[in-house]
Amino acid sequence: MQADATEKRMRELMLAALDGDAAAYRRLLAELTRYLRPWFARRLSPSHASHAEDLVQETLLALHTKRMTYDRSRPFTSWLHAVAHHKFVDHVRRHAIRPTVPLEDDAPIFAVDDSANAADRRDVDAVLTQVPERTADLIRQTRLEGTSVAEAAARHGMTETAAKVSIHRGLKSLMSKFAGSGK
Amino acid sequence: MTDELIDRLSAELKPTAARDLEKRILLAIALGLMGTLLMGPIVLDLLVGRPFGGAWGSPMFWGKLAYTIGLGLLGLVAVPALSRPDAHRVWPFWAAGAVILLALAAGIAGWMQADWAMPVLMGGTALVCPWLIILTAAPLLMVLLTAMRRFAPASPTLAGFGAGLLAGGFGAAAYAFYCGETSMMFMAVWYSLGIALTALLGALIGRYLLRW
Repeated sequence: MQADATEKRMRELMLAALDGDAAAYRRLLAELTRYLRPWFARRLSPSHASHAEDLVQETLLALHTKRMTYDRSRPFTSWLHAVAHHKFVDHVRRHAIRPTVPLEDDAPIFAVDDSANAADRRDVDAVLTQVPERTADLIRQTRLEGTSVAEAAARHGMTETAAKVSIHRGLKSLMSKFAGSGK
Repeated sequence: MTDELIDRLSAELKPTAARDLEKRILLAIALGLMGTLLMGPIVLDLLVGRPFGGAWGSPMFWGKLAYTIGLGLLGLVAVPALSRPDAHRVWPFWAAGAVILLALAAGIAGWMQADWAMPVLMGGTALVCPWLIILTAAPLLMVLLTAMRRFAPASPTLAGFGAGLLAGGFGAAAYAFYCGETSMMFMAVWYSLGIALTALLGALIGRYLLRW
């Protein structure tokens, strides 16, 4: 089973890290980041998607400072899951966020890995540098993070119509720049 | 950002000893017990005026010692598991509750045979006993909770309750050396109350102190 293979690999890295192997530790943290980011993002409503990165960092920090509470004879993934869950609940409470993801979505952390998405996201970021910053942000919010146009417009202190125009112009200029060679 | 954090964390990685958590708990108990044992001669003897070994020679002295240390050990069984994020071990609390109920049943039986005589229940120190037990247990509870701040309890309240049961049990055992009461009913009511209050105090403090 894939989950068992993940558990075995992660646990070996964690045990090596506990013995002071910095290279294994770095690999563990980097791998965990790829799993934790989408796991948190799924649990946050689109308007709070930007909190996922904070939560990833808080979880890595907790893993670091609380690593002595990992019992070497127990599964690592369930320990990590407990730490991440604790950080999520704590964060939601602290920021008074109402979780909108159905609670029955209890897919384990290690179900989805976003290394492919990460590559896509880097491409998107590169493309969006071609338009003005405000337009890029509006496009990111409305087209990628699922924020409504009204909400995104309010965040930038503009009217909904102005935001629509800005998004439309931005996308049009990107199409003319990048669509040429593709089609 | 996250990459920088990973760099920083892996640069400052230090090896963690096996069973580090258990060792820290035991070290904290050893340190805290010294404080709790010092409460006897300094506070109980000098300030409250209780000579050492008031119930010396009574079988009930050993009964009190076994009862209190037993409850403390149940706390000790619970604390390491409750200090972790992924474990949930509350059976020692149910066991402690059962032990207290058994002691109460035995105490009531003895009290009945004594024809419900008030001194059997109240002794001479009933109203100070629980408070002095909390006071005796306080150094151990504080040192233990301080050490536990570095842990990651799934429930800070439950972890604090476990620490309180541990400290209350061992604190009451230390107190028993300076207590002259020899009735089972007295122990079942007032010692249990002192230990339970210490456990609740631990839960209350833990709820805030052990957050992470």
